[in-house]
Amino acid sequence: MLSQIIRALLLALLSSLIALPVGFFVAHWAGWSVFCAGLALQMVFHFRNFARLDRWSHRPVVDASLEGEGAWDGIFGRLYRHEKDLRAGIADRDNQIERLFAALQALTDGVVALDLNQQIVYCNTTAEEQLGLALTTDRGQPVVNLVRQPEFVAYLEGGDFERPLTLRSERGTDRVLSIHVVPYAGDRRLLQIKDVTQTVRLDRMRRDFVANVSHELRTPLTVLAGFLETLQEIDLDRADQHRYLDLMAEQSKRMESIVQDLLTLSSIESAPPPSVDIVDMSSLVDKLRRDAEALSGGRHNIVAEADAQCDLRGSEPELVSAFANLVANAVRYTPAGGTVRITWKAMAQGAEFAVEDTGIGIEAKHIPRLTERFYRVDRGRSRDAGGTGLGLAIVKHSLNRHQAQLEIRSTPGVGSRFAAKFPAGRVAKVQ
Amino acid sequence: MNESQHLSSQFDEDLSRLRTHVLQMGGLVETQVSAAIEAYATGEIASVKTIVETDRKVNELEKAIDDDCAHIIAKRQPTASDLRLVLGISKIVTDLERAGDEAKKIAKGVRRIYEGGHLPGQYGVGVRHLAEAALAMIRQALDAFARLDTPQAANVIKADTDVDVEFKSIIRQLITHMMEDPRTITTSIDIISIARAIERIGDHAKNVSEQVVYIVEGRDIRHTKEKAQ
Repeated sequence: MLSQIIRALLLALLSSLIALPVGFFVAHWAGWSVFCAGLALQMVFHFRNFARLDRWSHRPVVDASLEGEGAWDGIFGRLYRHEKDLRAGIADRDNQIERLFAALQALTDGVVALDLNQQIVYCNTTAEEQLGLALTTDRGQPVVNLVRQPEFVAYLEGGDFERPLTLRSERGTDRVLSIHVVPYAGDRRLLQIKDVTQTVRLDRMRRDFVANVSHELRTPLTVLAGFLETLQEIDLDRADQHRYLDLMAEQSKRMESIVQDLLTLSSIESAPPPSVDIVDMSSLVDKLRRDAEALSGGRHNIVAEADAQCDLRGSEPELVSAFANLVANAVRYTPAGGTVRITWKAMAQGAEFAVEDTGIGIEAKHIPRLTERFYRVDRGRSRDAGGTGLGLAIVKHSLNRHQAQLEIRSTPGVGSRFAAKFPAGRVAKVQ
Repeated sequence: MNESQHLSSQFDEDLSRLRTHVLQMGGLVETQVSAAIEAYATGEIASVKTIVETDRKVNELEKAIDDDCAHIIAKRQPTASDLRLVLGISKIVTDLERAGDEAKKIAKGVRRIYEGGHLPGQYGVGVRHLAEAALAMIRQALDAFARLDTPQAANVIKADTDVDVEFKSIIRQLITHMMEDPRTITTSIDIISIARAIERIGDHAKNVSEQVVYIVEGRDIRHTKEKAQ
């Protein structure tokens, strides 16, 4: 700084040294003019640099354009470095923040960060979808303005976050969310949202299963016990005795088939993966058709079409029982005169086994639960028809073990279509 | 300078709290409506009592919010958009309260139907569909208010036409049904009153959306053919 002042004074002295002789020998005014011109030159020099700095400060860019002259060069250089460091630091931090957000995005749970006033600071896409938020428009919005369910508002205001809140999602989808509030950075709160729809469903299924097994087994047992009591206490003639014993045999057979199905189900669940032996589909479909005709007793029109170009890899007994189950259902639930169509054909991706009927159909609300154990659309009818309520559960499990998807489409009063879609890996081309 | 800034930020806070209260009331009304529809679908008339009781809370909230509006106008003398917000809110709460009343009506209708031992039967589906549309409208209207989102508000206003059309078709069906079998008249009348209440909920949602347009843009689009855009 001192050197700058000395330099400025020296330059002023220099101009006065030139000006003095001029003023002395030529004229007063000429001397003054030369002196002023000297100072003016110095000012022009400084003003040029000042203008450059002024221009740059309006729109600071980090490139080589920031260059000063003379004493200005040092200042410009320092400014330039400072700006450059600052920018590098900001870019670095931006990167870090971006990675952090990417990590939050990657979470499968929903996350919403709130500030001190319960306003949304950040949420990931999972949370956006779960709660119907949109970060771009909803940042800074109090979260209770958008998630308005009274239970949620009360939970957030109550301040007791020991247990998570279970909330039924109101936004169209029938989902159950479990919301956990975690404090962070002092009094700020983080909402952690888990989708527990599946867990809740499984819980219900398990509860239903135990209740159903006991109920299903108790019904025939009650009948058996009733007849036994009658036989013990009352002297019956031979014919009556026979009739009662027949009924008892029927009930015990029924219990046996339930237990058998339960065992099948549990053995399928714990069995090793099915083999990859080739199953001859043409003859299998033909066998299914004959079985269906026998079961129908000529009351239905049975059609079978098998694509001879491909076969299936898997465990034959399991597949036969699954397919036979679907066919038997179709025959059972189709009124006399209806058509049951059994098809096996190659698809773009894999192959499909389908059973189509013109039966009574199933209401849409039952379809997602059809494969649950003991789930029945119409309790009375299914039991009269001799079902154990486990058939489709077994079918689904067997198919799942073969990586197949069971697809059910149905229109009440028109008919149903049960299709097992096998992936390409399970299909064998016939040479 | 400092003093006035302090005052204005407190004013902003008052307004934002007012908005949150309105939305809280809205949330309560949404729950009421969906609970009423649930009762209609499942026939669980135990929840009817809760709905009727909760309606009192909705009414109290309406009074409290109206009171807050009056206070803000008296104390702060808001102008321009702030004034529109307060005026709009005082109208929105009226509509919300009425939507709550309609939910109560639905609940009571459900009780009449199921206590009489009659099932809504085949009209269950149509009415439920209508109800879901109305519920979505009220939800979207409140979202539009929370986000001051006029395009969303415009969607709600458009959706009201669909709900009206669907309502009329349900009425037509029920009339045919009643003519065919006069024994169904009692139940049908109850179903009509439920459908009418649902249709009114749609109208209230539309009114809320119109207020949102007024708050944001200062245009009053009630009773006009003017498009909300």
